[in-house]
Amino acid sequence: MFATRALLGRSVWKGPNIVPLPLPRTLPPPPNTPPIRTQKRAATILPNFVGLRFAVHNGKTYQEIQITEEMVGRKLGEYVATRKRFTYKQSKNK
Amino acid sequence: MACGEVHSSEKRCCRMISPAHRGQASIEPSINRSDNLFSGKMVFILGVNFPERNLLKKSLESFFGIGNHTSSRLLARFNIHPTCRVGELANKQVLDMTAVLSDMKIENDLRREVLNDIKRLKETGTYRGRRHALGLPVRGQRTRTQIKTPVKLNRMERRM
Repeated sequence: MFATRALLGRSVWKGPNIVPLPLPRTLPPPPNTPPIRTQKRAATILPNFVGLRFAVHNGKTYQEIQITEEMVGRKLGEYVATRKRFTYKQSKNK
Repeated sequence: MACGEVHSSEKRCCRMISPAHRGQASIEPSINRSDNLFSGKMVFILGVNFPERNLLKKSLESFFGIGNHTSSRLLARFNIHPTCRVGELANKQVLDMTAVLSDMKIENDLRREVLNDIKRLKETGTYRGRRHALGLPVRGQRTRTQIKTPVKLNRMERRM
């Protein structure tokens, strides 16, 4: 219906939310490089992130995600859940 | 505006049915033209039979993916007036309309596209995809109460 629907979320004049992240100097990064730890869940995934590993904060711990091509244009936080499914735990002491 | 159109067209129908207005109706050329509206014939548009007396605009809108805007644009493109009945179309107009409709992404093609979009969200592991799979509201609505619609509709395996 709206051809520009994707642009309606955020003002165009701002552009994508580009956050300075400690990206590796060499691409692709050498094996055994630790994932990039970040709390910037609102950072837009840029095309040069593809193939990198990020450890994104979920409010408690850092969860690793591997960036693929389909994720470009979305936010880091979209791929890391902040909520836990409720499970009933039997209490020991009654 | 759309409401007014429907109303006026209904009025015309009533006038034709009631015998008291028969004489008056025959004076108007537009009524004369639509005398054959009750012949019960069907018109074939894109594999669907429409009764001749149906409004063309409403008939077009019965396709999934065509709403008020698209149907008005289609009518304007073929220079058809908005209260035109299906039976008033010339044979060539029906063929043209069918040709244009078959090029558009409507009905099952569109449904499949929507399904694939949801599937892609799920496969890439986004929050939205997860909400679809769980049958919960996708766009940040509250879930404390009133989530019957998403529970009913949001799921990965949907009917086309």
